[in-house]
Amino acid sequence: MSQPATTLAATKSRHARQGGLKIALVFGLAIVVALIAPHLFASGFGLSLLNRMAIAIVFALSFNMLLGQGGMLDFGHAVFFGLGGFATMHLLKWVDGGLPLPVALLPLAGALGGAFVAVPAGWISTRREGTAFAMITLGIAELAVALVVMIPQWFGGEEGVSGDRSGGMPLFGFDFGAASQIYYVLAFWALIAAALMWGVTRTPLGRLANAVRDNPLRVDFLGYDPARIRFLTFILSGFFAGIAGGMQALNDEILTVSNIGSQASGAVLLMTYIGGVGTFSGPIIGAVLITLLQMALGTLTDAWQLYSGLIFVAMVLWAPGGISGIIRSHAPILRGGLGGRLLAAYLALLPAALVTLAGIIGLAELAYRLQAVRGGGKPGHLFGLAVSPTTPWQWLIPLALFLFGAALLSRLAPGARAAWQEAAAFAAGRRGR
Amino acid sequence: MTSALSLRGLYKSFGPTSILRDISLDIAAGTRHTIIGPNGAGKSTLFHLITGRLRLDRGEVWLAGENITGLSPHAIFRRGLARSFQVTSLFPRLSVFENLRIAGMRNAGCGHAFWRRLDGFAELAEQVEEMLTLLELGPRRDVAADALAYAEQRALEIGLALVGGAHTILLDEPTAGMSRAETERTVTLLRRLSAGRTLVMIEHDLSVVFDLADTITVLADGGVIASGPPASVRGDARVRAAYLGAAAEVLT
Ligand SMILES: Nc1ncnc2c1ncn2[C@@H]1O[C@H](COP(=O)(O)OP(=O)(O)O)[C@@H](O)[C@H]1O
Ligand SMILES: [Mg+2]
Repeated sequence: MSQPATTLAATKSRHARQGGLKIALVFGLAIVVALIAPHLFASGFGLSLLNRMAIAIVFALSFNMLLGQGGMLDFGHAVFFGLGGFATMHLLKWVDGGLPLPVALLPLAGALGGAFVAVPAGWISTRREGTAFAMITLGIAELAVALVVMIPQWFGGEEGVSGDRSGGMPLFGFDFGAASQIYYVLAFWALIAAALMWGVTRTPLGRLANAVRDNPLRVDFLGYDPARIRFLTFILSGFFAGIAGGMQALNDEILTVSNIGSQASGAVLLMTYIGGVGTFSGPIIGAVLITLLQMALGTLTDAWQLYSGLIFVAMVLWAPGGISGIIRSHAPILRGGLGGRLLAAYLALLPAALVTLAGIIGLAELAYRLQAVRGGGKPGHLFGLAVSPTTPWQWLIPLALFLFGAALLSRLAPGARAAWQEAAAFAAGRRGR
Repeated sequence: MTSALSLRGLYKSFGPTSILRDISLDIAAGTRHTIIGPNGAGKSTLFHLITGRLRLDRGEVWLAGENITGLSPHAIFRRGLARSFQVTSLFPRLSVFENLRIAGMRNAGCGHAFWRRLDGFAELAEQVEEMLTLLELGPRRDVAADALAYAEQRALEIGLALVGGAHTILLDEPTAGMSRAETERTVTLLRRLSAGRTLVMIEHDLSVVFDLADTITVLADGGVIASGPPASVRGDARVRAAYLGAAAEVLT
């Protein structure tokens, strides 16, 4: 009995050490990427993209601490982000006024602000679970927006509050006024916050949050109060959302009520879900990708929101595990060397997918420009063609493309799915042997 | 000597339907006690009342000399009472190992810490590995609970109640749906792990009951119709009346 137990323990500790090594490698790689990225994207657009990504990553990770880890859908997560941002902004104004604090440390004020607000909000909301919890957070979000509008002395009313991040004392000769300098501050905080949030998943509270997500009733019969676990998780999540808000304050140097409102809350839900709530990396993937799409598409088309909504709906329908879920379901297949076979099956879908996509883009742009034209705007061009959304026949082309592509896709999809299932089963069988 | 568990005049109704009436029962510390009775007699309801899942209408529940009436389930667990469920209740997305580890966290002193590594609780991990071996779930250690076969889930369900080291353990039909061989293994496991603890179990399989129990309580028509050592319960006329049919053969 004791003999196998000790060898078992030895195996476990070796596993643990290997796990630790892997994590150190991943984190080291993240640092390297963070250091190289600003040299690859050195333009103003590139840097502002990177800065936004850093903020979005922290915000989305803090959101998933609730949704993915703890099973709590917070419809008002921007409250902690925004109010953390305001806390940072006020401190920044004091720093501008002569308070001897390094600007780089200010996101900590956001963290404290976010956690501070999360205490009363969580105290009310975490007594309930599921839908009731979500509804309460929605109410809290409305309440927060109303309060912010009602107290212009603190929150600046419609114009918001602004500060100057280069007004503080310089650190090692940097005043962080330039986008290239503030980038390092934001990257630093993103790395720290991500590492800490990853760490929390490995603690007793982190595991208990998973347990409460899966089966709160059983947790109650194992000596823990599920509401207490939700409450503590909620405060931690508010803390990290506050860091993201503080980063936002430093990056934008202005904060308004829109940073607290439902659109900001919706945006973080969207990117977290698209990235995938089931893994730690999912929200990071979602934050990077959606920020990229938002800024890249934002320069190409004004219909960005239409597209992000469509992507979201498509994900919920066909890939509820998000992008990280797709990656996870393919990883064993790729490792098993079966990627080639599957690629052929997927490539067969490509023409149909492209036709569908063209149809969707056509419809989305027409819909968007219909509104613009009615408002007296210019119709513009799409795929080199003059667009006139008020002529009905122009709608028929993208509609036909869409219907044809979608029909084709639905014919071909079962084959691709079967190919995936076969490859997955094959890979699993191989590993089992 | 104080009883491990003492029920004093429990009443419970659901709306107008009275389910349990004036249930009083004393279970001596360190003994194995089984509760039997026809389906719908209120056995599971009785467990729910003891463990804080349901509120009683009247009466008191005492655990090791302390009145625990009206306490929440987690507060009752902290006083040393663990339970399993008739309808399997696990953490479906977590591995077998994590399921058991969660069940042991409270008594291992993990608290709600978010600044300490869970893996750092080495004794807890050892306890869990040991339980995995006892449950014969070692090879399934890293499998998600919802991917287990039914009998494996039942074994894990029992494991969740046993791993934390509670002094009083309530098991609601632990062998339900198990094969003969699995039932026998479970009985051996329970005999071994109940040493030095108080075990209260609801059980339908009368061979298990007479194999394991120090004392038996028969619940029928909302009340205790017999309670005592197996020999006296076996001979009770009212029990024989309640158990007419196939099961009566086991009683003889
Ligand atoms: N929550 C409830 N609401 C209403 N009736 C219930 C509830 N739970 C159990 N009952 C009823 O109480 C009776 C006893 O149920 P239960 O304790 O599960 O019986 P047993 O475990 O002895 O088979 C049954 O008639 C059942 O239908
Ligand atoms: Mg029952």
